[in-house]
Amino acid sequence: MKHYELAVKFYKEKGPRHDQALWAIRQKRDKAVKEVPEWESLRQQASEIKDYVIENLQNLVDEFIKNAKNEGIEVVFAKDAKEHNQTVLQYLKEINAKKVVKSKSMLTEECGLNEFLEKEGIEVIDTDLGERIVQLRGEKPSHIVLPAIHTTKEDVAEILGEKNTDPTYLTHKMRELLRKEFLSADAGLSGANFLVANKGWAVVCTNEGNADLGAVLPPLHIISVGVEKLVPNMNDLGLFLRMLARNATGQKITTYTSIFGKKENGKRVIILVDNGRFERLNSEFKETLKCIRCSACLTTCPVFRRSGGHAYRYVIPGPIGSLLGPLCDKEEYKDLPFACTLCNSCEMVCPVKIPFSKQLVKMREYVTKENIALKLAEKSMHYPQAFKLFSTILRLTPKPVLQAALKEWSRYKALPSIPQSRFIK
Amino acid sequence: MKIALHVPCYINELNPEIARKTLLILRHFGLDVSVPKNQTCCGQPFINSGQPSTLPQQFNEIFKDYDYIVSPSSSCTSTIRSQELEVSKKMYELCEFLHDILQLKNLAKNYPKKIILHNSCHSLRHLLEGAPSELNIPYFNKIKKVLGDEILEAKRDECCGFGGVFSVKEGVISYVMGRSKLDDLISTGGDVITGVDYSCLMHLKGIAEKDGDNIEIKHISEILYEALEL
Repeated sequence: MKHYELAVKFYKEKGPRHDQALWAIRQKRDKAVKEVPEWESLRQQASEIKDYVIENLQNLVDEFIKNAKNEGIEVVFAKDAKEHNQTVLQYLKEINAKKVVKSKSMLTEECGLNEFLEKEGIEVIDTDLGERIVQLRGEKPSHIVLPAIHTTKEDVAEILGEKNTDPTYLTHKMRELLRKEFLSADAGLSGANFLVANKGWAVVCTNEGNADLGAVLPPLHIISVGVEKLVPNMNDLGLFLRMLARNATGQKITTYTSIFGKKENGKRVIILVDNGRFERLNSEFKETLKCIRCSACLTTCPVFRRSGGHAYRYVIPGPIGSLLGPLCDKEEYKDLPFACTLCNSCEMVCPVKIPFSKQLVKMREYVTKENIALKLAEKSMHYPQAFKLFSTILRLTPKPVLQAALKEWSRYKALPSIPQSRFIK
Repeated sequence: MKIALHVPCYINELNPEIARKTLLILRHFGLDVSVPKNQTCCGQPFINSGQPSTLPQQFNEIFKDYDYIVSPSSSCTSTIRSQELEVSKKMYELCEFLHDILQLKNLAKNYPKKIILHNSCHSLRHLLEGAPSELNIPYFNKIKKVLGDEILEAKRDECCGFGGVFSVKEGVISYVMGRSKLDDLISTGGDVITGVDYSCLMHLKGIAEKDGDNIEIKHISEILYEALEL
């Protein structure tokens, strides 16, 4: 099913509540952002740092690998999802791991790591509250920061087999269940929000501390991270940390912001993943590599708020997903850049100033196969006479025929009446 | 000052009165305004459908010798402005032109009805004719300035759901977005909804008509035309 069908299905069930919940977060975000008088200049700086990062990506990767190794971290470069998954498996097999605890990582979703490890007989427990909810429901996250925003407290009570739907009660219940998993896991897996090139450190931001438990308790911690998450130094990191939580959820900073170097009680591995990113550097979509996955473009998107994230089908939904999805599979996700009114709200909230409208329009062209009718129409519009002919045809077409031709419009809206004469005759 | 009136293709077909009134408003302020007869379309419907178009280049050829091109549509204006053409910086949406170039304000202060302004996305988030709620910049709204202080606005400055090709590809979501926009606008207690983009207004009008809302919807040029008693 395509976005428009899934969107209708979701909207009928949960649309208005979902819209309200996310609009409330958008308002929290606005308030938090407006507490920082220099916000707009921070966006400009962040955008420039990210431009620098993507222009110097190979150098920063080399610098990071050198410094992380000096720090005592093992670093592996994986060229694609398959290589990434194999690498994770190899490390887990070395210690004969049977169970791993994982904190939220969109990259492992991109690589399909959970399914891969489960096929290999390794149990994967997602430990982020929202991610655990969707995992138990047999779903994928519907939002990259609020993975279970499409569910209700009743849904959560149901999967936990509880009658009590009080959110605090349910959270404590989940905490109890997850604590056992943390204590019995053989390894911890996580993503990273940033990598600091000149230090060789990985930075993980969470609100639940689950990544920290996974990083510290088991003897092995594997961090899977896309190469574009690099920042040059700690000053730059400071800037991004100021922006990330405010823009994502309206918090001043995430509850847990941890910087990981060498692991004192075991082994830490960082898998740097390319999976098409270096190739994208040379494409017209290279600016998508600036994304820090703050999720503000999802939350603000008026279409996303009503359609829900699952309608996009790709692991990353919303405006940024409508660019990343078709880059991953052009045919499968060709509807996504059209699930958008080009309202430009995404561009306005983007902390690194990705030019969303321009990129989405380019993406529409990228996914659109040559359409002879459209091409001819475009050509004919160069001639006022052809335009006039079209206009005459429009006026001669009976209203029911127009209504049938524009059925998506006329199902919910009256067609405008067409006046007899034009201004430019 | 040589000025050209841009007549958006959909306005020429569906509401030519908007073009006529825009022309009369500009002439009312003593301007020398021409209407190039060979103009067709700025190319936006094609570009936004994923079809490359050279119509913006043709637009440039037709309009490049004028000092300003004034358009009763922020949507067409932003299509041209986002291109790197000679005309890009010379094209203005009507209210933007009245505000920035003629520096006029309070033109509708004696208008007998309470006006509700629908800030369209192309006006607010592409041309920045006002401060979008997403940005941390001081509040301003050029269209409100041109009309007068008493203008009402919706609580959420979000998209009305028209989106051109979106309105036919995603009819349901387009409708629910339009419905909530209309509810928001009507709840201000005003009498007449206006805006600089007839495309959004046509969409809202279509919904209002089908759902039986009792609200007047008029393009900004129609409001100014009446307010200036032309």
